Amino acid sequence: MRRIAALGIVLALALAQVTWAPRLSIGGAFPNLVLIAVVVIIWMYGVRAGLAWACVGGVLLDLTASGPVGPHALALLAAAYATSLWARNLDRPNAVHAALTAGLGTVAYSVALVVTDGLLGTPAMDAGVVVRLTLAAAIYNAALAPFAIELIRRLRALVRDAPETA
Amino acid sequence: MYGAKSSSRSTGLFFVLCALMLLLAMLSQQVWATGARGAARSALAPLEQTMTSAAAQVDRVVSIFGDVSALHAENAKLRAADEQQRRQIVELQAAAKENAHLRQALDFQKSSGHRLVAADVIGAGPDELTRTMEIDRGTADGVKPGMVVVTGAGLLGRVREAGPHAANVQTLADPQSRVNVYLSKSGLQGTVAGGQASLALDLPHAIGVTASNGDWVLTSGVGGSYPRGLVVGEIATIAHRDTSTSDLAEVAWVNEPANVSFVLVITDFTPS
Repeated sequence: MRRIAALGIVLALALAQVTWAPRLSIGGAFPNLVLIAVVVIIWMYGVRAGLAWACVGGVLLDLTASGPVGPHALALLAAAYATSLWARNLDRPNAVHAALTAGLGTVAYSVALVVTDGLLGTPAMDAGVVVRLTLAAAIYNAALAPFAIELIRRLRALVRDAPETA
Repeated sequence: MYGAKSSSRSTGLFFVLCALMLLLAMLSQQVWATGARGAARSALAPLEQTMTSAAAQVDRVVSIFGDVSALHAENAKLRAADEQQRRQIVELQAAAKENAHLRQALDFQKSSGHRLVAADVIGAGPDELTRTMEIDRGTADGVKPGMVVVTGAGLLGRVREAGPHAANVQTLADPQSRVNVYLSKSGLQGTVAGGQASLALDLPHAIGVTASNGDWVLTSGVGGSYPRGLVVGEIATIAHRDTSTSDLAEVAWVNEPANVSFVLVITDFTPS
């Protein structure tokens, strides 16, 4: 039951990513809600859960874009793995860790997306533009990640005692 | 937090999932997978539409506070009127050069003479590196890959993929995008390439003619990818390069994808 609920949340985030998030654009960059969710999952539920949900979220994002299904999943996997390298040695993140891993994850995401597009024969943007947009998005995601982690922590505290129905 | 064994298991899982996703990407790129891909995307389209409508409602509710709503509406109306007038001026300038009788109509549909399908924009690309948008019309409405997409202001892009009830549009901002154009005043011809904030126009040198700021850029029809006469934008800056065979101009695109909510798909023009 919880997995179905989690799938619903990831689906909602992926849809919000392509409908609501572009309205929050600053300097051409906008928050990557699915990436922030993956970072939060890694900190709260572990690396394996983060990698699995990165795949699911990425495939959903790919289904909202044109071209092959997989590049965004690979990009999110890279972001998840980069976050996991940091998360491995820490039990409980503070706001700075959450922000820094979201920023690092965003950079890994963009690099993986550009590399995957290159492998699949899709021309990428001008390198300067990619760097500028990636940095702007990294700052944006880094600013939001601590709030996301705190929100999930509080929600988890609320439902911790709820009975498992499935 | 994690032991060495757990860490190595996570790394293994990472590589397995990467391999699976790469395989999925390669398989889904095949021609035979196009239908399934389109159908899956169409399944998400109603949800995207609902989210977009909800976002529009939120915008409306938020804008009710103070006089913001009225100012927004007035601003939008003035912008629409301005865009329409700018388009009309450019089309009339082009018309004067080509055929005054054929291009006197001010309405886009009449002046272009094409059959159009109207569509709502229901989603944007999933990140800032993806320059596409999703529309709520697909093959069931006669929309096919390759068809040209415009707005009231001018050229927006082309349909890249189409499912039964949704399609994905590659906008001119996409780095893959190339459009052959001509300038309304000087008549110079060149190629516009996609870019993030503005479009880049490569203009080969011509004897006795130079482009200048404010010159309007329209599709030339050369190459058969786009119909002739669609407004692309206005030259914002131009760098004259004496040591090169061409000048490089920045084109201020008439469309701002973030603000586009409604598009027209030209269904009777087949790119060659």
